Amino acid sequence: METRVNNSLSVAQPHTKAPQWLWPLMWGALLLGSVTVMSAAEPLFRWIEPDARQVIYERTELYVLLGRHLFVVGIAAVVTIIVGVAAGIAVTRRWGSDFLPLVAQLASLGQTFPPVAVLALAVPVLGFGTLPIIVALMLYGLLPIVRNTLAGLQGVEDDIKTAAHAMGMTPRQILRQVELPLAAPVILAGIRTSVTINIATAALGATVGASNLGDPIISGIVNGNMAYVAQGALTIALLALTIDSLFEVLQRQLRTCFSAS
Amino acid sequence: MTLMDALPTPRLRWEGRHPNIVLVSFSCIMLAAFWVFDVVSMAPNRIVLGTGHGALEAFGWPGALLVTLLLACIGILAWQPSHRHYRALLAAVVFIMALMPVGLMASSYLLIDPELPQARLGIGAAYWLVLFVLLLCLVELRLRLNLTRIWPTLLLCGVALVWWLCAAFGLGALALVQEFRARDQQFLSAVGQHIKLVSIAVSVSIVLGLALAMLMRRYARLQKGAFAVLNFLQTIPSLALFGLLLAPLAWLAANVPFLGQLGVSGIGTTPALIALIAYSLLPIVRNTYTALEQVSPDTLEAAKGMGMRAGQRFWQVRLPLALPVLLEGVRITTVQAVGLTAVAALIGAGGLGTFIFQGLGQAAMDMVLLGALPILMMALVVDAGLGALAEALRPGGTR
Amino acid sequence: MIELSHVSKRFGDEAAVDDISLQVPKGKFCALVGTSGCGKSTTLRMINRLIEHSEGDIILDGQAIDAYDPVKLRRRIGYVIQHTGLFPHWTVARNIGLVPRLLKWSATDVQYRVAELMHLLGLPVDEFGHKYPHQLSGGQAQRVGVARALAADPDILLMDEPFGALDPITREKLQDELAKLQARLHKTVVFVTHDMDEALKLADHLVVMRKGQIVQQGSPLALLQNPSDPFVESMLGGLERGLKQAALTRVKDHMTSMGPTLPAQSRIPGVFSLRQALSMMLRDHCDRLTVVDQHDMPVGELSLRRIIKEAQLDNGNTRE
Repeated sequence: METRVNNSLSVAQPHTKAPQWLWPLMWGALLLGSVTVMSAAEPLFRWIEPDARQVIYERTELYVLLGRHLFVVGIAAVVTIIVGVAAGIAVTRRWGSDFLPLVAQLASLGQTFPPVAVLALAVPVLGFGTLPIIVALMLYGLLPIVRNTLAGLQGVEDDIKTAAHAMGMTPRQILRQVELPLAAPVILAGIRTSVTINIATAALGATVGASNLGDPIISGIVNGNMAYVAQGALTIALLALTIDSLFEVLQRQLRTCFSAS
Repeated sequence: MTLMDALPTPRLRWEGRHPNIVLVSFSCIMLAAFWVFDVVSMAPNRIVLGTGHGALEAFGWPGALLVTLLLACIGILAWQPSHRHYRALLAAVVFIMALMPVGLMASSYLLIDPELPQARLGIGAAYWLVLFVLLLCLVELRLRLNLTRIWPTLLLCGVALVWWLCAAFGLGALALVQEFRARDQQFLSAVGQHIKLVSIAVSVSIVLGLALAMLMRRYARLQKGAFAVLNFLQTIPSLALFGLLLAPLAWLAANVPFLGQLGVSGIGTTPALIALIAYSLLPIVRNTYTALEQVSPDTLEAAKGMGMRAGQRFWQVRLPLALPVLLEGVRITTVQAVGLTAVAALIGAGGLGTFIFQGLGQAAMDMVLLGALPILMMALVVDAGLGALAEALRPGGTR
Repeated sequence: MIELSHVSKRFGDEAAVDDISLQVPKGKFCALVGTSGCGKSTTLRMINRLIEHSEGDIILDGQAIDAYDPVKLRRRIGYVIQHTGLFPHWTVARNIGLVPRLLKWSATDVQYRVAELMHLLGLPVDEFGHKYPHQLSGGQAQRVGVARALAADPDILLMDEPFGALDPITREKLQDELAKLQARLHKTVVFVTHDMDEALKLADHLVVMRKGQIVQQGSPLALLQNPSDPFVESMLGGLERGLKQAALTRVKDHMTSMGPTLPAQSRIPGVFSLRQALSMMLRDHCDRLTVVDQHDMPVGELSLRRIIKEAQLDNGNTRE
């Protein structure tokens, strides 16, 4: 599907190039800077926390924590995207249409389930560590993707589907060449919501023993060291902004492919 | 041509004699879960990890058979769906739910050694799964029978009453009940504190959010900046925002005596409330703004053409039309605040999160449940309640 | 050749199409006319199996359509709908080339065919080939829709109110072009519309439907001369029926040879209709017209009495 979308892209807009990559590059550079040379900002953190013995979080290198954070969010995202999009497709096919009302109703619950509660419920089943936070993120991130996949696929006009059908396209061809490309912007928006929220939520994993960028925050709260909290928060915020701006670029590319009429 | 031609095939084919696959597969899933997973677990005391027990050990032959029959009955009724069968299914689902604590009583009678006063019964994976799937069945039945939200809510209230009665009188051995009995005062005050925090945060952010949205409509320049700031706030993990507020507030409390007297301190309610309000502003402002902006210009022009003054146009046309979307914002905010308040427990704000984090710290899973389950229920209740309200207020009736 | 015999379609207990029989000979243009919800679109969609019929037989070139694979069947039947159904994410050229590509034509064949069709429908390839559907006007989009339907050179063309959403001027222009196209290509066309004038103008065979049943069918002239019941008569325009009938008759078929009197001042080309002739008489306050050929040379004349007599004669003929 992606390749097809990109094909039509290249026809649509040979002119826009450089400026849209500016933001993700900038945020990305700041993020890399913050995880590698955070110690350079020691005077600043010393100013925040003048009395603390140590103001730079050094128990684990920040870039290692960043890697783990990305790993957790990434795994959860890959699984939720596959499961969510597949579920959205399945219930909009005729053979799965029995499940459509129920799934639509559940998807509209959106993020009703508080992540802390989901995380807390996952721990008794899965134990402490990285697994419960991945599961919690998956559950938390699944519904927006399902909801947007449904909205995107149902948003494809009946006329277009009828025409595709009447031209003798097989259901598979209709899905891959017509429905998915047309629904892609909406689905992508769902993925963006899901992933961006999960980057922040993943920090909660630190409370159940998963080591990631939430570590400095928890350790800061426990020890009353604001500098630690600030380092964790800053890195997570930069990560979220980087990923979010990347999605922004992707979405804009899709949108220029054909203006949503 | 009309609707008939617009639909390639009639959507709801189940109205024919074709089985309701959803309920049939749910019935199979529940049966499988019931026989494969542990129904309950039993631990001699609080510290030791419980040992799991399957269906046969937990309920004995007659009980397990009865449950199997009841669960299979859902699948059988759903095989030939009709209005009557759906009503029967609704009754069956509610009946099974009401029966669930009775099953726990049976297994505590069968499994718990009366010699061990400390012995406690844990609820197993099968139980949770069946309960979850039964709730899904309820949603499905509500949709198939075209019921309003009120009915399942009333039925669930009835079920909850049965559970509460059972828990109060016959389920002393249940770990969850024991945890509750050990700290019932603490639990009730935590629930109170949780509700208090959520309601203060939400009501303040509604007032602030409405004001901000109005200002944005007047001063277009404000709009971009304010949304950028609010969006940025959402990217900071809740954990961090709570943490970051500790220091400045502590400093303020120490250096501004007036604030200290007001009860402002670095730890506890104040930073929690500030963070909650900060998070709640974005959904409120965003929804209020789009709600007011999305009102069709044609309608407003018509109102103007009929000679309505600006104030009349706002109060009689724009606001009523915007209300459902606005309420949607309140719903999202409140649900989010219920979850975030749990995190606030980490900085000593109290609430149900206290049990979660204490429980995690002591590896006492029943205590975690004692905190997490009410939060989950609260979120669902708020979601359903405000959702129903928004539906009722939608102009021109429900759709 | 399309043949429907005793075909019905039920949605639940309701019959959308109720026992209709109809034949469209090869190369003929058949229009289904009726008010909204009369089952005309359903009938159309049953032919390419977008909707499966419940009872009766639909026979295409001697074979029941149930015997065809639906996907292959649809690839050999062109289909045009009201809102074009063009894929918004594909260029015009790619939209038109859809069915040939589905049929696995070679890329150069597809390209050649697309260019040919765009030329046929008056859409310069250089100007429109790379445009997206939302960049087209309604009329242009519908031309692309027709081109797409014709792409694999199907024998049969199904058209579901193709010009219903266009403004009157564009609609009339496209109707004229379709008539010309049909005169050249001789497709077997089934055309659904609620606009009786459109149907009268284009069709060889007219089918009036109501509540899922065929009320009357026949050639446009036959229906105009002899509507079977008040419904058909009102569909045909009630009092205006005479004028509509006159619109279907060409001047040169009814002119008389030049009389001994002086030729009339007003001139009318022989290919014009009697309706236009009447209008010209009203405008010019005369009761005689000189008929001219394409080189503006007088070839005969037409009098008011003649027009009125002809109408009577036609009525008499059909009654026999």
